[in-house]
Amino acid sequence: MDYILASVIILSAAALGAPLLQFLGRRVKLGAYVSITAVAASIVLIAANTATGVTSTGFGSLLVSDPLGDLFALVVLCVTLAVAVASLYTSPGGPSLSSYYSLLTFSALGMLLLSYSADLLMLFVAWELMSLPTYVLAGFDKKRAESNEAAAKYAILGALSSAIILYAISLTYGVTGTTQISGVVAKIASESFNPLVSVAIILFIVGFGFKMSIVPFHMWVPDAYEGAPPAVATLFASATKKAGFVAAIRVVLAVATVYVLAPNSVFTLANVFAVLAVVTMTLGNVAALTQKSMTRLLAYSSIAQAGYILVGFAIFAYSQQTGLYTYNAVLGMTGSLFHIVNHAIMKGAAFLAATLVLIQLKRSDLDIYNGLAKRMPITAFTLAISFLALGGIPPLSGFWSKLLLFLSVINTPLAWVAVAAILNSAFSLGYYFWVIKRMYLDQGESTERVNEPSGFVVIFAVLVGLMIGIGLFPQQFIAFAHAAATSLFT
Amino acid sequence: MIPILSVLLLLPIAASGPAYLILRRDRKAGQWFTMAVTSVVLVLALYVFYYVYSGSAGLVSSGIGQYALSEQYSWVSISSFGVNYLVGVDGLSSPLVLATALLTLFAVIGSRTLIDRSEPSYYALILLFEGAIIGVFVSLNLVLFYLFWDLVMLPMFFLIGLWGGDRRKYSAMKFMIFIFTGSMILLLALMAAYLGVNPTTFDIPSLAGRIPASIQYLPLLASFIGFGIKLPVFPLHSWLPDAYTQAPAPVTVLLAGVQSAMGGYGLIRISIGLFPQASHQWALAFMAVGLVTMFYGAFVAILSKDLKSMFAYTSIAGMGFVVFGAFASVASGSALGMEGSILEMFVHAFTAGSLFMLAGYIQKGMGTTEISALKGLRNVIPRAGTFLVFACAGAMALPPFGSFVAEVLVIVGGIDATPYAAVAILVPVIIGGYMLWMIRKVVLSPAEVNSAGSDLKGLDFGVLVLYLVPLIVMMFFSVLVLGPAAPVVQHILQLVVR
Repeated sequence: MDYILASVIILSAAALGAPLLQFLGRRVKLGAYVSITAVAASIVLIAANTATGVTSTGFGSLLVSDPLGDLFALVVLCVTLAVAVASLYTSPGGPSLSSYYSLLTFSALGMLLLSYSADLLMLFVAWELMSLPTYVLAGFDKKRAESNEAAAKYAILGALSSAIILYAISLTYGVTGTTQISGVVAKIASESFNPLVSVAIILFIVGFGFKMSIVPFHMWVPDAYEGAPPAVATLFASATKKAGFVAAIRVVLAVATVYVLAPNSVFTLANVFAVLAVVTMTLGNVAALTQKSMTRLLAYSSIAQAGYILVGFAIFAYSQQTGLYTYNAVLGMTGSLFHIVNHAIMKGAAFLAATLVLIQLKRSDLDIYNGLAKRMPITAFTLAISFLALGGIPPLSGFWSKLLLFLSVINTPLAWVAVAAILNSAFSLGYYFWVIKRMYLDQGESTERVNEPSGFVVIFAVLVGLMIGIGLFPQQFIAFAHAAATSLFT
Repeated sequence: MIPILSVLLLLPIAASGPAYLILRRDRKAGQWFTMAVTSVVLVLALYVFYYVYSGSAGLVSSGIGQYALSEQYSWVSISSFGVNYLVGVDGLSSPLVLATALLTLFAVIGSRTLIDRSEPSYYALILLFEGAIIGVFVSLNLVLFYLFWDLVMLPMFFLIGLWGGDRRKYSAMKFMIFIFTGSMILLLALMAAYLGVNPTTFDIPSLAGRIPASIQYLPLLASFIGFGIKLPVFPLHSWLPDAYTQAPAPVTVLLAGVQSAMGGYGLIRISIGLFPQASHQWALAFMAVGLVTMFYGAFVAILSKDLKSMFAYTSIAGMGFVVFGAFASVASGSALGMEGSILEMFVHAFTAGSLFMLAGYIQKGMGTTEISALKGLRNVIPRAGTFLVFACAGAMALPPFGSFVAEVLVIVGGIDATPYAAVAILVPVIIGGYMLWMIRKVVLSPAEVNSAGSDLKGLDFGVLVLYLVPLIVMMFFSVLVLGPAAPVVQHILQLVVR
């Protein structure tokens, strides 16, 4: 807990201090370096916290330090670090660079707190701390109309989702008389079916669903990803989205251990998650196939990936409500958490590659990707590897998490979800390979080499190394996800 | 002790990077390096083949189950999920490993004259392909198997898409979509196998014979579709004519020779080996699929206007024999059909390989492979023309080529299962018919005046002789493959009967 506290302080100090630094000297990027250092330092601190392996609570009982929180905190901080380094090359906002980094750091702080939240109010405050800066970040290219549109759309829907979450919290408090999540769960367990609780759970799913980008709460995603400055889109896809998942796990899945949503066997949490999963992955993949812009393709593919992650939620809820298939539920949640980690890496790599193409070639339509392998070989390779990983081709990281997810449901009554997920995987390879074909087989407008900045090359090397490394030696990562998953079973 | 199978599969994969770098600096040196690597792999594969052969002659077989040279390490292990790195060989896989090593070396030699652009990536991808395909044959863990199974298609996608003919991009995408869909369906079967036993495991030796009969049917169907696309069987074959005709000749040699054998191997090892009771129930239906594939391939080949397309459909017919024979044994309980299938996979590698290699040389020498445009090869390019006659004789299962033994075994095995299977004897007749017609038109016809072409020279000529050597050896010493295969087939049939 001390490590978490330390990283909260470091991040707060950096976030507050960064905007002031621009008045101190001539170096515009000083604030940026401070933020990057702070985020890197908190990664070290959180890693140290993970290494202790102790589960403890802090700030009264507002925060809980457990493997689940560690996993998410590490993911979001690492993504923030990659985004922060990549942003050095995009120079969003020019002179207001320090404010950009300040907002980024605030958002990281919000995500960090959210990962460890053990109380609904703490969760909501963290949620807002994460969200508000991202509304500004989405519109940071203030002279570009799309950026403004993205910011407006995102802010309105974001505010709506916050309101829904707040309403759900108030309902929960009204029924249980507490905002402590463990208290809420205990109280719900001790009472019989109450429609207000069901309403609150549905509202939580809807509210978190906006950030998780699950269908039908995904409408803002393609526009926001496309309009936002490209590095910020990476943050949305790989970090704030994951925050939505950790919130859902902390609240909805905790309640799912004791509550079935409805007194019949149809409208259960398991079925809700299963249907959401299948609809989300199918719609995401089908829509991705028809896109003509890389950013939108990645946005829809990101929606589809949220569907895969929900598969684990479905089997978890199913095993909790029936008391059967605990083995599958452990596999499924391990798969979900592992896929969240993998997705952050894979999508982060893909988005950063698309970012670099946008910066260097000023276009993001798919035609510019024709013959990219000759013009920007490292970027093209990174994009190809991340697509193969997203498609679940071994021996890359995405394969293992998908394998765990599919395995977890295939011998249960939810087997149709596995079949749908497998067909979706095959289908998604269609558009992934379509882009690989463009990059490697098609002729581009020119074959002239385009500069690939060294900072990007380093990030790409790390991310590709992770995708291949995790694929070849997944033991430690699966074990970590497994530890986090088992902590959900009480 | 040296982990010989790991070396065998990792050596080409590890060598692909150095091969790329050397080729970038010096074309000749890189080609020799690639040939050296594939030669070392061949020596190792020969050793493995000999080891299994000598072991099967009554000597002790070491390792796990009936598998020799096995290696096992824990790869992923958490309390509820485990995957082992488990490799090993037996009489089913060792001939296919040998065929892979031989054909890759031949293909690399053939590539020297037939491939003339982006050579560094080309040879690197060929090496990657070789390692992956050997991985498929020696993996005894379903996840490891699936890993290599998918890894095979990545180099192949680029090999077809970058070095192929005019419609290479279309063919590469079509290949990819078919094969990947197949492998996803296959994954369903593999996962079902994993969950079908208690405690759960992905290890083939511990799975064989332990999956309850009641849950074998859907996984069997899924695996049959997955392997059937690769083989291919009718009606899952439509990617094949495009891929085989568009890929450059040395790549088609590998596609037709060893990639299709992956399907047959999987069918015997996994579909029949893991789901034996269900296979027994459905054996006649799958035999029918094999028979339809044989006739379909043979009939469509008659209509081909192009040598490559004719050879592609002939190859489809050949793989029909593999399915037909394997399931004939399952239906009847006699070992003949499956023994024939294993031999057929081995000899088909060389018959199909030599045909497609020749098609490549004819394309290069004459500028076309269209049957109506080719005349009098006997006079224009006599060496290639003569070899074409030999290779066709191999494909139509004429003695003294090993394909004769294989197809006789398959057909006799089929008759063991059901007398109606005798109709399969017509397939070699049809193949012989159109092959002879083609030889008369292309090789024996009078040459057009002024027609000229470049004939085979040096190493290319020598390699084509080498293609025929295993075929002739298999006619007289088919025991080299059939001997080690016998205990494997016995073991599988015991599971079926039980």
